[in-house]
Amino acid sequence: MEHVTELGEVLGFLRAHPPFSGLAPDALAALGRACRISYYRRGALVIAAGDANRMLSVVRSGAVELRLGGTELNARLGEGECFGYPSLIRAMPAQNEVVALEDTLLYRIEAEAFLKLRAADADFRAFFDTDESARLRRAVARLRSRGALEQDSEETLGAHASIGSLVRRREVVTAAPGTTIAEAARLMAEHDVSTLPIRDGERLVGIITDKDLRRRVLAPGLDTAKPVAQVMTPSPVTIVEDAPVLTALVAMAERHIHHLPVTDASGRLVAVVSSNDILARLGSNSLIIAKEIAAARDDTEVARAAAQLPHAIAGLVGAGVDADHVARYASTIGEGAHRRLLDLGEAALGPPPVDYALVCFGSLARAEQALGSDQDNGFIFGEDYVPERHDGYFEALSRHLCDGLDGAGYRYCPGDIMATNPAYRCTGAQWQARFAHWIASPDPQAVLETTIFFDMRCLAGEARLVEDLRRTVFAQARSNRIFLSFVARAAAATRVPLGFFRNFLLQDDADEGRVFDLKSQAIAPVVDLARVHALANGIEATNTLERLRAAREAGGLDAEAARDLGAAFEFVRDVRFRHQAEQIAQGTAPSNKLDPERLSRFDREHLRDAFKLIRQQLDKLRADFAGGLS
Amino acid sequence: MLEVLFASRERRLRRRFEQAAALAPPGPLRDFYAAGMPAFDRPIAQIEFAAIDLETDGLDFAASAILEAGIVCGGARGIVAASATRVRFRAAAALSASSVVVHGITDDAAARALPEAEALARLLPLLAGKPLVAHFADIEAGFLDAACRRVFGAPFVAPFVCTMQLENRWFPRPRAADGLRLGKLRAGYRLPAYRAHDGLTDALACAELLLAQIAHHGCAGLTLGDLVRR
Repeated sequence: MEHVTELGEVLGFLRAHPPFSGLAPDALAALGRACRISYYRRGALVIAAGDANRMLSVVRSGAVELRLGGTELNARLGEGECFGYPSLIRAMPAQNEVVALEDTLLYRIEAEAFLKLRAADADFRAFFDTDESARLRRAVARLRSRGALEQDSEETLGAHASIGSLVRRREVVTAAPGTTIAEAARLMAEHDVSTLPIRDGERLVGIITDKDLRRRVLAPGLDTAKPVAQVMTPSPVTIVEDAPVLTALVAMAERHIHHLPVTDASGRLVAVVSSNDILARLGSNSLIIAKEIAAARDDTEVARAAAQLPHAIAGLVGAGVDADHVARYASTIGEGAHRRLLDLGEAALGPPPVDYALVCFGSLARAEQALGSDQDNGFIFGEDYVPERHDGYFEALSRHLCDGLDGAGYRYCPGDIMATNPAYRCTGAQWQARFAHWIASPDPQAVLETTIFFDMRCLAGEARLVEDLRRTVFAQARSNRIFLSFVARAAAATRVPLGFFRNFLLQDDADEGRVFDLKSQAIAPVVDLARVHALANGIEATNTLERLRAAREAGGLDAEAARDLGAAFEFVRDVRFRHQAEQIAQGTAPSNKLDPERLSRFDREHLRDAFKLIRQQLDKLRADFAGGLS
Repeated sequence: MLEVLFASRERRLRRRFEQAAALAPPGPLRDFYAAGMPAFDRPIAQIEFAAIDLETDGLDFAASAILEAGIVCGGARGIVAASATRVRFRAAAALSASSVVVHGITDDAAARALPEAEALARLLPLLAGKPLVAHFADIEAGFLDAACRRVFGAPFVAPFVCTMQLENRWFPRPRAADGLRLGKLRAGYRLPAYRAHDGLTDALACAELLLAQIAHHGCAGLTLGDLVRR
């Protein structure tokens, strides 16, 4: 016999929507019993700002609008979304006015039952966290652990596994620096290793490989009785055992090396990891691309190698690799393509007649490339540069570089920020003069167009030319409050969305669109924020996360803000890479734009958190730097 | 004018209510009447109603059996989920195959149900003192009356709110033949589609419809007398 009965429709609905979907049956039933079902006609007031709210509300059908204090649009919620919990958790009057946007049926759960379950269930509590930052950081952590879980089940890629998990723990075969080359070779043959670390006591001093024996010993006919120290690669790059596999991958791709000695925290050598070990784990062509680009004999080969990048990225993304590593990897490949094309150009044209540097700007300079980036570059010449005598060479070299890059998927810059543009082929002094003009007489439009130049990095040639320019420019920028305020205002002017409502993007003024531009609406604002702080604090780093960290250390950004922005930046970039990987899988060109309809509920809700954190920092920026103008 | 009509309708119903009460033997039905009948001039905000849906094995009040009653209670501010109750009536004879198909109630489930007298004894306290809400309330009123006459030898009288009639009265418009069906009307108020032919779900669906009708009609000055079927 049944007495008090559960309402199947109520429970069935709750069970289909997070966080209720994760509840045990008895916990769900308890919430179901604590439910009141209410109907609101379109336009009806559900909760007034300042009301003592006693219910967690779940939209069963229809939609509601939340306005902070009854004025500022905060959110629009549709079927399955919850509101009213911050006032329950804080035991404070409601801050938002809630109005039915359509005829709406609400399931309203009594405060007591909600709070009781919240106290008992950690996942439930986490879902209703009123701290967006904590929730977003958990989401980022979950993305990573999800990657780790997926690789366990599918045995694909242990990109987040540590290097230590990849190497077999056994005594590493090593030799002392004084060992003869012949003895070293015998040791390698006996233990069937292709790499031999050279150790002076406990200290790693060098490394020698099969290839070194071929090239440095056999080919030149060197006496094998000589000490191995003469032919080893001294002071090799090492990696600590708890570093992620990805870090090793990036290190190898950057330096075109295939073996990395692995050390423990105390610096003691514990193993040697090879590119094959990593490739076996990654199962992707990620390392091969870097190698192929470096070995390309012409533009076509560079382009062919670079054409594999989208699939390599999709592979890394699919394996749950975090956005920062994916971006650094993509940037490494981009750098390699620039360098190789420049080398090929120099090989065709002969050695450069004067000192010069290839400088890149924007995302590549920040090591934050995604797919579909265009190129932004220029040449900086030393003092000896005479246009009449030398520009012919560099004009030809720039054409070689920029055409090659376009062919390799790094499209011509629509704004013509390329070495092929004579304006961006000039001496350090001329570059300085250009920057000095921007800084001394800023105007809003020029600021928008020139900020990208403040992210600069030397890709090839004389690094000091770029470094001198950067240092001079940053010193000028830092001391010019008016310029800083222009840059800050330009950054703060970005309209970061509020969130999503059904398949629409929700903006400040309730203006809705079907297109969400991840780059301009979510990623660029964080980049801009970090740049303002870098300029204001004389920070050398160009990478956004490094700038945020440095700004925190310099006191320009409080620890919470730096952490929040970092988490927001990571999350929005993760969404972008997953979106791009999906596009690649579908055979469409990777872009930064997506239809909100394609976003999962997890992404929507955490993007909303990320937006909020970014908006808070933009507001703060506006307040902090507006002073330079008034 | 309206008040006069109200008063006469209320007076007529109250007279029937009291006559039935006088016939009710001591027990559940007398207790039901003892709780009284809510006054027609009671403002809508102060009314607690019981929405009821009966699943039966036919449409003939006297010859068909109640299989199940679903009840949810609430007021203008909301329906209380904890009030949800399902009472299963034990069928006197084996179920007809067609009613099994329609209601999904098998002989097996029905066998775990209560005999009619016990089922009514369980049901009546939940309804006492409240207006009853049903979609096409003639069915619920007729079946409850027939059952009470069978078991207690006295009629069942209560103020019924019929959401089907209310819809026609408040929002008259030309409709398709099936335009007054519960699901159709709910869709018009943007209420979700529910699984039909479950007593409890239908009671909830009907209660939600009443809330929607009141919200769209506007509840200012509304009293019980405006809702009760005529």
